[in-house]
Amino acid sequence: MSWQPELDELRAREAMARELGGADKVRRQHDAGRLTVRERVEGLVDAGSFRETGAIAGKAQYDEAGRLSGFQPSNCVFGRAELNGRPVVVVGDDFTVRGGSADATIREKPIMAERLAHDFRLPLIRMIEGSGGGGSVRTIETTGRANLPGGIGGGWLYHYTTENLSVVPVVGLGLGSVAGLGAARLASTHFSVMTKETASMFVAGPPVVARLGQTLEKKALGGWEIQTRSGAIDHAVDTEAEAFACARRFLSYLPSSVHELPPLAAPGDPKDDPARRDEKLFTAIPRDRRQVYKIRPIIESVVDQGSFFEMGKMFGRSIVTGLARLDGHPVAVMASDPFFYGGSWTADTCQKVIRFLDLAETFHLPVVYLMDCPGFMIGLEAEKAATIRLGVRAMAALNQTTVPFCTMILRNAFGVAGVAHQPAGRLSLRYAWLSARWGSLPLEGGIEAAYRAELDEAADPKAKLAEIEQRLEQLRSPFRTAEAFWVEEIIDPRDTRRLLCEFAHLARPLLEPRPSGLRMRP
Amino acid sequence: MAEVSVTSEIAASVWKIQAGPGDRVEEGDVLMILESMKMEIPVTAPSAGRVTAILVQEGQAVEEEQAVATLEA
Repeated sequence: MSWQPELDELRAREAMARELGGADKVRRQHDAGRLTVRERVEGLVDAGSFRETGAIAGKAQYDEAGRLSGFQPSNCVFGRAELNGRPVVVVGDDFTVRGGSADATIREKPIMAERLAHDFRLPLIRMIEGSGGGGSVRTIETTGRANLPGGIGGGWLYHYTTENLSVVPVVGLGLGSVAGLGAARLASTHFSVMTKETASMFVAGPPVVARLGQTLEKKALGGWEIQTRSGAIDHAVDTEAEAFACARRFLSYLPSSVHELPPLAAPGDPKDDPARRDEKLFTAIPRDRRQVYKIRPIIESVVDQGSFFEMGKMFGRSIVTGLARLDGHPVAVMASDPFFYGGSWTADTCQKVIRFLDLAETFHLPVVYLMDCPGFMIGLEAEKAATIRLGVRAMAALNQTTVPFCTMILRNAFGVAGVAHQPAGRLSLRYAWLSARWGSLPLEGGIEAAYRAELDEAADPKAKLAEIEQRLEQLRSPFRTAEAFWVEEIIDPRDTRRLLCEFAHLARPLLEPRPSGLRMRP
Repeated sequence: MAEVSVTSEIAASVWKIQAGPGDRVEEGDVLMILESMKMEIPVTAPSAGRVTAILVQEGQAVEEEQAVATLEA
C-alpha cells in the first residue's frame, strides 16, 4: 500500500496555497501594477530553484464531516533558492491575504526565514509590501487583548533584523505600500530598493498622519523622492523586474556571509585590461579651481568596465558610493562629487560614509577613495545638523576599518575632513594626482584674516592681496610637499587604474574570512 | 507640453544667470551658475525645451530643492 491519499491531500493543500488571497485579490494586485508574492519569487531567483518552507501553513476551515473546506495561506512566503547559482533565503509578504497584516502571517514564518539566513549563512532578500507582518488595529478584536510590542518571547524578529546585518548580506525590496514593521524590515538592510510608481514607505500611512493635520497622499508622504533623499531607502527603480536585478547585482559583489571572502570574477566574465590608460583622465580636473567636474565618468574609467554599481545616489550627495571590481576583485568605492558643496562633507554625507565603510568592513571589501574634499560643510545650517559630531563619527568609522585602503587625492584635501582620507593608525596606499592641493585651511578667504595688518598698511591693498596670494600659491605646490616627503607619491592620473588594480591584488591575501570586530547597525 | 520645474540641489547663492525666458535649451545646457563653498556649480536643463521663467536673481540665496526656473518640455 502506498501513501497516495496523503500525497493527494498534500498536493491539494499546496495548490490551495498557490491561490494566495483568491482570484479577486490577485486581480486587484495586478490591476494596481504589482506582482503577487509568488510571481516576485519567480522573477527574482534562478528558474525552478525555489524550495519553499511551510507553504501549507495558514488558516483552514473544515466542514461538519471534518473535511478541509477552505484555506487562507499565511501571508508570509519564504524558502531557499539560488541567485546566479548561489544559495540564498527569500522571504516575501503576500498583500492579497489581509493586506500583508500580522493577523494572517503566523509569527514564526518570517522569524524562521531570518534564522535560516543566519544559521546557514545565506544572503537574505526581503520582499516587502504592507505592514510586513506588523499588526493592524483589528488584531485587538481577533486576539481580545492589546499587544505589547515585542512582548514576551516576541523579540526574535527584531533580534535577527539587527544580528543578520553583522552576519549575512541583507537586501530589502519595497514593492507596495510599506508601513510600520514592514518599513523597519525594509530599512534594516545593507541595501534597499523601492519602485517609483507602485511603492511608498512610511512609519504610519496617510490616514494616521491626517490626524496630525497633514493631508498627504502616499507618494507625497513616503514616495521614492522623499525616501531616497532622506537616506531611508538607497535606490529607486521603475519596475519590479529592475528591483530584482538590483538585488542580484548587489549580492554579486559580496560573500554569502562574513565567514567567506567576496567572490572574484569568474573566468568566463568579461575581462578588462588592468594596465588600460584613459587619456581623458589627464584633462578630467579643470585647471580653474572654481570649476567642477563630473566624478562618475572618472570612477567608470578606472574600475573594470561596466562594474560600478552605485548605492545611495540621492543621499549625502557630496560623496558617491558604490561597489565595483578591479581586475575582477570586488571593492568598495567612495568618491567626492564637487557638484555638491564642492565635495564638502555634510551631516548626511557623514552618515552615508559611516554606513558604507561599515558595509565594506563587515564583508571584507577593500576600500578605494577618490578624494576631493575642501572640508566639512560650514555655516549655520551645518552647525545645527551636528556636522562636526557626525564628522568625527565618520572619521571613527574610517579609523576602525581593518580592510585594506587606497586613497587617490584628485584635488582638495583641506581641514579636519581632509585628514579623513585614510585610516589613521595603519599604513594604507595613497597617491596624489597632479591636480592635488591641500592645506590646513583653504587660501581663499584665509589670506584676508591671516595677513590683516600687512593688508591694512598697504597703499594698494588689492595689489598687496594679489602679491601675497602669488607668494603663497608658489609655496603650496604639491611638489614642495613631496620633496619633504609629506606626501609619498604624485602620479600621472592616467596610471590610476594600473595602481588600483595592483592595490586590489595586494589586498586580496590580507582579507580574512571571519566576523569583523564591528557590529553593524542599519 | 509639460512644465518642468528646475530645482537647485544645494543651498547656494546665484552667481550668474545664463538663460532667459523664451530661450530654447537642450538637455544639459547651463541655465545658471550657483556659487557654493567657493565653487561654481552649474544648474542644467533636465530636458530639452523652452525656458518659461527664471525664478531667481543674481546674488540671491537659494535653498536645497528650491525651484529656480521653469521649462516647457
